[in-house]
Amino acid sequence: MLSISYDSTFDGFLSVVFEIYRQRLSVGDIRPDRLEGTSEDLFMQPFWVETNPDSARRLKRAIVNAASEDVLYLLDTVFRSEESGVEMKMLAFLRKLFSGIDKNYGKNPTSEEMLPLYMIAQSVRREAGDMRGMVRFTKLEDGTYFAEIEPKYDIVTLLAGHFRSRFANERWAIYDSRRNYGIYYDGCGVMEVSVPDIKEVTAGLPPDSIKEMWKDFYKAISIKERENPKLLKRCLPVRYWKHLPEREASPATWLESDWINPKFTRSSPSTLLPSDVAKANSRAQVLLR
Amino acid sequence: MDVREKLNILADAAKYDVSCSSSGSNRSTPKGGLGNGCQAGVCHTWAADGRCISLLKVLMSNACKYDCAYCVNRRSNDIPRATFTPKELIDLTLEFYRRNYIEGLFLSSAVVGSPDATMERLVRVAKELRTVHKFGGYIHLKSIPGASASLLHEAGLYADRSSVNIEIPSDQALQYLAPEKNHASIYKPMNYLAERKLEYNAGGNFSRYSPRFLPAGQSTQMIVGASGETDYQILTLSNGFYKQQQMKRVYFSGYVPINADKRLPVITTKPPLVREHRLYQADWLMRYYKFEYNEILDEQHPNLDLELDPKVGWALRHPEFFPIDIQTADYEMLLRVPGIGVKSAKLIASGRRYGKIRLDSLKKMGVVLKRAKYFIYHPDTPASLRRLYPEMVRPLLIQQAKPVQLDLFNDQPLLLSAS
Repeated sequence: MLSISYDSTFDGFLSVVFEIYRQRLSVGDIRPDRLEGTSEDLFMQPFWVETNPDSARRLKRAIVNAASEDVLYLLDTVFRSEESGVEMKMLAFLRKLFSGIDKNYGKNPTSEEMLPLYMIAQSVRREAGDMRGMVRFTKLEDGTYFAEIEPKYDIVTLLAGHFRSRFANERWAIYDSRRNYGIYYDGCGVMEVSVPDIKEVTAGLPPDSIKEMWKDFYKAISIKERENPKLLKRCLPVRYWKHLPEREASPATWLESDWINPKFTRSSPSTLLPSDVAKANSRAQVLLR
Repeated sequence: MDVREKLNILADAAKYDVSCSSSGSNRSTPKGGLGNGCQAGVCHTWAADGRCISLLKVLMSNACKYDCAYCVNRRSNDIPRATFTPKELIDLTLEFYRRNYIEGLFLSSAVVGSPDATMERLVRVAKELRTVHKFGGYIHLKSIPGASASLLHEAGLYADRSSVNIEIPSDQALQYLAPEKNHASIYKPMNYLAERKLEYNAGGNFSRYSPRFLPAGQSTQMIVGASGETDYQILTLSNGFYKQQQMKRVYFSGYVPINADKRLPVITTKPPLVREHRLYQADWLMRYYKFEYNEILDEQHPNLDLELDPKVGWALRHPEFFPIDIQTADYEMLLRVPGIGVKSAKLIASGRRYGKIRLDSLKKMGVVLKRAKYFIYHPDTPASLRRLYPEMVRPLLIQQAKPVQLDLFNDQPLLLSAS
């Protein structure tokens, strides 16, 4: 059994699949190299596959022939989830697809191998969709609009089309600081970029009055009598708050849902909003009685 | 007064307008301009109350000449008043838009001077945004009842969506609470815009150069719980809007007491959030699940069940249709199974062409089996057991709903109000 490693790109993964078929490898695990050194399996032999654009291209054509463009696109989307073990799921799907048992296999979204992929793709697409709204630009000194994001999935390149048509006459950049690369639009085309130090990009910028007004607006628009932190967190997951100006000021502990739970105890000084403390207290009292 | 102060006052004054959607208009970016429309709409953030924010929602002015009992901006309220100049508003919109805070502008206004004067200012902002600044983002303009036809028409040319709020579901209650308003004056601009839109669409052959009129259609809003209408009356009314005025959306807003007024529920009343939620669920059933309004409720059942969602309610009143076989049932019938949504119904319908759908794959599709299991059957189930007993299923379904902590200080205990 082999534990195959590759360079964590989609083309790299396709090369792996290509090699598995070409050399008839018996594969136990496929691991991207960003997972270096974690839980090596004693009984598996490590094996490195070099990315080969030519074999990737040939495999893509084979997928389109056996199924459709949509399936290739689906696989690309699933791959962006970076979920552990997703490579083996995709391999299982491809094996079934190329086995030719069922002519319509590529069309059936509810088959045993495709349904999990379909559901993963859905959440990747959902995040890419949400991110179109949750990117927040800051104006840099040279007039470029710059945004930093930390999405769960690797979706930053999926945003290019939307923002290119929306801000066609401006220069802008969206940077994924978790994966250390981003996209930059220079007024005519989008390119992939990376910067050595993300903090330096926005360092020393004067305070933005528009940003302050946005925070004001955000506060003014909510109705106090209807406040619903649980719903808010479902719609706007806490992991995004860091880069949203309207939410970044919320105290760190607000992020944890513990104050919704009346039984919580806290030893360190509380940084909750006074009203939240009162709310939590009154609930705790209700329980005590 | 600077812009920031004005924004604080006028955003606060606009927060009771619940319309938030930015969908239905796929405007492309004007050449050399800024922004486009996205067919599906984009939510940019969510307020602390969990409502989506996609538009800069403000009033042009809150210095109102009317005195409606339920409104925060009424003449007799002692609140700070402010008015934006068109330029301030335009700059704010563009700057917010460039930072990707918003999808566009939602502009409403209190009636200052005459309806025409007010409407004219709203239209001017939209017109300047479109023509001078080549702005392609979403614009939602409020139509002011009583404004002249030519202004309404112009608004339709620059805005993506327009809305006139019906405010209170029955005319009688509206005239009681808002003496200067009546349903006739609200229907007039609504009908005018609906007719113009039909006229523009009647030509048939579209090109991207042909002028468009309110591409995202109209919407309206009504306050629930300020006057005594039943849910059946409310659904009948919204059904009429969808069918006759081709309304895109009807919004419901649970009454939040703002003013102490003897014509209204006491100021300590809690907003009827559960009822509002149920109404939205019913509205969803009408728009996406092919339900008729009189299937969801009828004269015998004039109010929605606060304990169970309307789809379950319908299913339990119609045991003769259930349980169904998911391998053969129509798509329409799949949609009616509690726990199955549009997405999973589509998956089932496309997947079963290639093989049997099993229970565990239903779960993987996102079907809520703990609800759906009472309404579908397995091929192994003996035919004699394929019956639905609503009186047995109902308590089971209610049990599953999360237990609610009773509020000690609520003057209307939950258990009583639900019965």
